[in-house]
Amino acid sequence: MTKILTAKDLAIKVLIALAILAVAMFFCALAGPQKISLQKVFAGPASVPGQNTDYEIFVGVRLPRVILAALVGAALASSGVVLQAILRNPLADPYILGISSGAGLGAITAVLLGISWSFWAGSPITIFAFAGAIITVWLVWYIGLFAGKSQVTSLLLAGVVVNAFFSAVITFLISIAKSEQVYSTIFWLMGNITEKDFSVLLAGGISILCGIIALLSISHHLNALSFGDEEAQALGIDATKTRMIVFGIAAMITAVAVSLSGLIGFAGLIIPHAVRLVLGPDHRQLLPISAITGGIFLVIADTIARTIVAPAQLPVGVITAVAGGPFFLIMLAKYSRKVSWLK
Amino acid sequence: MNDIIELDNLSFGYSQNLILKNISFKVKQGTFLAVIGPNGAGKTTLLNLLCGLLAPQAGSVKVYGDDIKSYSFRKLAHKIAVVRQEFVPVFDFTVEDVVTMARIPYLGTFGFEGKADRESVTEALEMTGMAAFASRTLAHLSGGERQRVFIARALAQNTPVLLLDEPTSFLDIKYQVGIYDLLRKMQLEKGKTIVAVTHDINLASQYCDEVLLLGTDNSFYIGKPEEVFSQERIEEVFGVKISAGTIRQKKFFIPLGKFAKNTDTALPDTD
Repeated sequence: MTKILTAKDLAIKVLIALAILAVAMFFCALAGPQKISLQKVFAGPASVPGQNTDYEIFVGVRLPRVILAALVGAALASSGVVLQAILRNPLADPYILGISSGAGLGAITAVLLGISWSFWAGSPITIFAFAGAIITVWLVWYIGLFAGKSQVTSLLLAGVVVNAFFSAVITFLISIAKSEQVYSTIFWLMGNITEKDFSVLLAGGISILCGIIALLSISHHLNALSFGDEEAQALGIDATKTRMIVFGIAAMITAVAVSLSGLIGFAGLIIPHAVRLVLGPDHRQLLPISAITGGIFLVIADTIARTIVAPAQLPVGVITAVAGGPFFLIMLAKYSRKVSWLK
Repeated sequence: MNDIIELDNLSFGYSQNLILKNISFKVKQGTFLAVIGPNGAGKTTLLNLLCGLLAPQAGSVKVYGDDIKSYSFRKLAHKIAVVRQEFVPVFDFTVEDVVTMARIPYLGTFGFEGKADRESVTEALEMTGMAAFASRTLAHLSGGERQRVFIARALAQNTPVLLLDEPTSFLDIKYQVGIYDLLRKMQLEKGKTIVAVTHDINLASQYCDEVLLLGTDNSFYIGKPEEVFSQERIEEVFGVKISAGTIRQKKFFIPLGKFAKNTDTALPDTD
């Protein structure tokens, strides 16, 4: 009976995954239209600013962008993992369920209203995005409940409907917006990772990491919840309360990710599924490993997005959607067959 | 004085219809009680009241002398384990994963199983004969094997009380007897108190110490199977003709439909 997961096994796996993430981040930060020499990077900043441009590009431009990609990837993948568990639906994903577009609508409302107050690096955009995300979660959940017993498909349909509706509202808002705001907004909507200040990264990073750690602390309950409310309650879990907490945290980290980088689809779907194939469905390791793998995935996807048509740049959402769309269809076909014998 | 579960004037219903009305009974420690009745009599509702999933509209359920409402879900999971009808979970958990979940009520935050937890899991797998299947996923088991996995999980939960909801429906007769043998073994070797909802009158009277017969008209009878089960009462409660016979001093009941190919001379001809 050595197969039961121990904290030590998990720590080793997490460290290995983190090492791979670090290597990926390092090499992706080196890649780009502007060649960077390793030697110059390691030489440190020059005494006169502007002399060691290689170092300045690496630390000031590339590194923040790679860190942002890793954070957003981790947020979306862990949000996907926990949504799949509590909705008992392997096709759930913050983007597909409309949570991302809810957050996007919130964020875009804040931008277009020109609300500019801020406190502790928490911009109104993030607050609005969180409100949008949490409203969408409940909306989709209730429409899904009313729509029918087979939650696997009715939830997806509810997500599609909410998604379409919010997209229409977003399009409307953009069409009445001032023209100079439009271009950047559209790029942002497609999922765009750009260079951000370290303070923004720090605030975003702390909230995302806190969210993931909070989810991690109840990850063994997610195992039981994926069997349904009655089963979870028989194992001593308050299913209603736990689901509300998980919904709240998932909405929070999705909102932070969306306000940092716009709507990036399918990362929350592909990553958990791939990790589950390799390591099995135990959420105590599925969650942390998916978060790190999500980071690796988005760092690489973003590097492709900014180098493939260099010197121009693609929004990273294009790359993830091109990879994720067909993947989603395959999984939909696979699970629709399985659904008929689900409880 | 060792009543583990005590129902006092319990009533429950959905909208105005009372499904269960003024039910009172006690379950002594180490008893194997079967809950029997026609569809719609409220068997599963009763089970959900016993495991705290539903709250009674009137009356009370007491577990170890304390009102079930005073228990947290976690505390209750230390006393009562529940086995529902087997199913295939959404994700590909292995047999061992599922049985290990039984230890969740004993884990802290960031929960990982310790040595004692693993021993409980191993013992439960061995007792139910599922150790050889430990690394298989549930989708790759037959219905009877899956039911054993859920029973193994209940066993690993180390509770004095075990509730089961129709553990043998959809199983062939070999698995039905296998499950009841296993339950009886857990009762005798581990001193478990078992309450099982079932449709099978004959299996219940073969294996159980007491039966609770629920009627659709809020009637209920509780006692030893020999006392509760009589041809007239079963015909009345289930609304179907019964042929009763005796094999080795045990009474057996076989339902008789109108067009059943019937050559049984023991059939009382009432028409």
